Amino acid sequence: MSILYDEGQQAIASESRRVVEARSDKARALALLETVGAYDHAFWQTAIEQGWTGLAIPEAFGGIGLSLVELGIVAQACGGSTAGAPFLTSNDGAAAALLGSENEELKAEWLPRLASGEVIAALAFGEGQSPLPSRPLVRFTAAGLAGEKPGVPAAAHARIAVVWALAEGEPALVLCDLTDVSKSVIEGFDNSRGYADLTFAATPGQVIATGAHASALARDVLARMAVVTAHEQVGGAEALMTIARDYAVTRKAFGQQIGAFQSVKHRIAEMYGLIEIARANCIHAASREGQADFLKAAAAARLSATEAYDTAARDCVQIHGGIGVTWETGLHLHMRRARSLAVEQGNMFFWEDLLAGQLTGVAA
Amino acid sequence: MSDVEDFRARARAWLAEQATTYGKEARRGLSVEDDLALGRRYMAARHDAGFAGINWAVEIGGQGLTNLHKVAFEGEEMAWGMPVVYFGISLGMPVPILIHYGQDRDWVKERVRKALRGEEIWCQLFSEPSGGSDLAALRTKAEQDGNGWKLNGQKVWTSWAQYCDYGVIVARNDPNVAKHKGLTYFWVDMKAPGVEVRPIKLAGGDSHVNEVFFDDVKMTDEQRMGAVGGGFGVALHTLMIERYIATDSAGFGPHLDLFIDLAREIEVNEKPALEDGRIRSAIARNYAMRSGLEAITARAMKMMEAGMQPGPEGSLQKLVAVRSRQRLSELAIDLQGNAGFASDPHAFVKESWTASWLNAPTGRIAGGSDEVLLNTIAEKILGLPQDHRPDKGVPFNQIPA
Repeated sequence: MSILYDEGQQAIASESRRVVEARSDKARALALLETVGAYDHAFWQTAIEQGWTGLAIPEAFGGIGLSLVELGIVAQACGGSTAGAPFLTSNDGAAAALLGSENEELKAEWLPRLASGEVIAALAFGEGQSPLPSRPLVRFTAAGLAGEKPGVPAAAHARIAVVWALAEGEPALVLCDLTDVSKSVIEGFDNSRGYADLTFAATPGQVIATGAHASALARDVLARMAVVTAHEQVGGAEALMTIARDYAVTRKAFGQQIGAFQSVKHRIAEMYGLIEIARANCIHAASREGQADFLKAAAAARLSATEAYDTAARDCVQIHGGIGVTWETGLHLHMRRARSLAVEQGNMFFWEDLLAGQLTGVAA
Repeated sequence: MSDVEDFRARARAWLAEQATTYGKEARRGLSVEDDLALGRRYMAARHDAGFAGINWAVEIGGQGLTNLHKVAFEGEEMAWGMPVVYFGISLGMPVPILIHYGQDRDWVKERVRKALRGEEIWCQLFSEPSGGSDLAALRTKAEQDGNGWKLNGQKVWTSWAQYCDYGVIVARNDPNVAKHKGLTYFWVDMKAPGVEVRPIKLAGGDSHVNEVFFDDVKMTDEQRMGAVGGGFGVALHTLMIERYIATDSAGFGPHLDLFIDLAREIEVNEKPALEDGRIRSAIARNYAMRSGLEAITARAMKMMEAGMQPGPEGSLQKLVAVRSRQRLSELAIDLQGNAGFASDPHAFVKESWTASWLNAPTGRIAGGSDEVLLNTIAEKILGLPQDHRPDKGVPFNQIPA
């Protein structure tokens, strides 16, 4: 089963798109690419003003109490404009982790501040190539957290982190304050994502969950963020398809619009196919939150959205010819974002294996 | 339970009762002739049970229900492997167009009843050696002959023509005007003198398509459907009429579960295939594609339930599903190594990877080739320009052959 967006959701879609488009600025986005350790404050301010920061957080904790469906809709709008900060996804992921905890004090302390956007959170799950290693090397003991989490999105600007660690031989999700944690900000190809290596040394932390509970929760949180990201990817792919289409009907060569050449028009039609499949998977996955098949649906959304965005980025640039590869035209904003989003929340190796495992019952 | 779900439950119960008589197992090993005879009996039973002409008007002999009911029934029916393939085109396009344009209403009603009961089959005579995707390039001539018409020429790729009683046909009545303006649409008696049907054996070994030759075949003006010179419009109407059909994310080939079952039994380089990253990747990717198509279908159904027009993304189904079935079928054969050489020429396409693979190219060409579907998406959905068409506006008889 899937869902149709109701009137309220359609209104969120058109309004969030209108706001994001009105307030985004290509020159600002291009400048951010060449600045290490910065993000688009105007975007985050907009997200706060619009209430997007608390969209899927319950009203009891200061949020708006909507669901993953609505958050996905907003993420799609943000993806269309290569929004200059990753916090919509990371804050919601941190909130979801906290909501899965039995520690009421922890929830009361942080959820309202995440909902208001006052606090920025990062999720430090991955180590090495894996977005969620079965036995993390970061340890949590009475002395606190110890070890390193490389390339954590949003970490450069985050006040708190939810850390995937090993505590007395058991997996655990631990919340920690990053104020005194050593951050090494990474200079990369998409600098507004706030990637940083985090090094924990006797870092105080509070347990969100341990053991099997922590494993299931971490996987659900990652899947949830993957669904938000998949929406963002669809938004980006859709924007590229529109750009490609508009260029193909404007630009002429050999006496006709280049969109009349099948080599061009079929490329754009193929993009359409990939985008619609990804969109359908995204809407379906968002509507399956909390159901038994959520992981499968999230993986399908993630795989198809990554393929759609990658292909759209590749082909939109190709259709433009020389002008497509200039700094100023800015198609590389999407090309870069397609790659960063393809890796954040787990690369394809992870999601293919997870989905194959769900479908066959056989682990890799 | 909604009305449609209630109907679906009734359909499922009825189909379950019929399965032993008409289903996949009953059909196994039958010759085409015996299978067709079984199919005719199934169609009669389906008509008696009130599951025929589901979305057609009661006045004409249908059930007067919605497209949603029809799609629900077809979705259920597909799971049982009933012998309906011979009647799909007949009831999908020619007979609905006859209902719309047929002049003698009593005669039309009789045809509808017999077609629904499988007693008569209709074919669609569109493609020709000179034009498949380019329908308006057809050369078969319809000339005025007294008060009626005389038909000369050749059609090709006509499915099931060898078993058909009637057909609908587009022919050229005027070669002096632009190619799509000089066409007229008729129904034709396939048993009339001068009609010759020659089956064409396809790469997969079966012969369900035919060449059909017309040699001075007489038609009355009553057989004309639509205006003289209006045939292209009626042909487009024919191709649009069957918009609400059950989809199959497996591209009418084997389901992904069968691939997983196969891989479960096989080792790749002495390790279980299901632990091999390449196989896992193929499974995951295939699932992601299929689940997307299924979600598109689910949303289309919901829109129909809500009285809305489903989105244009439904047009992706055949394009995406059949292409991926072709690749998965190739992989399934590779996966088996030397054991994959064996092949049962009578196996069902939905059960056999070899049969699926051998017949997949037909699926990518029939009913709109991949290229034509991509053009349609680009032009109708995305607003991209048409290709350069040198024959545009040129009288048919002045187009270089």
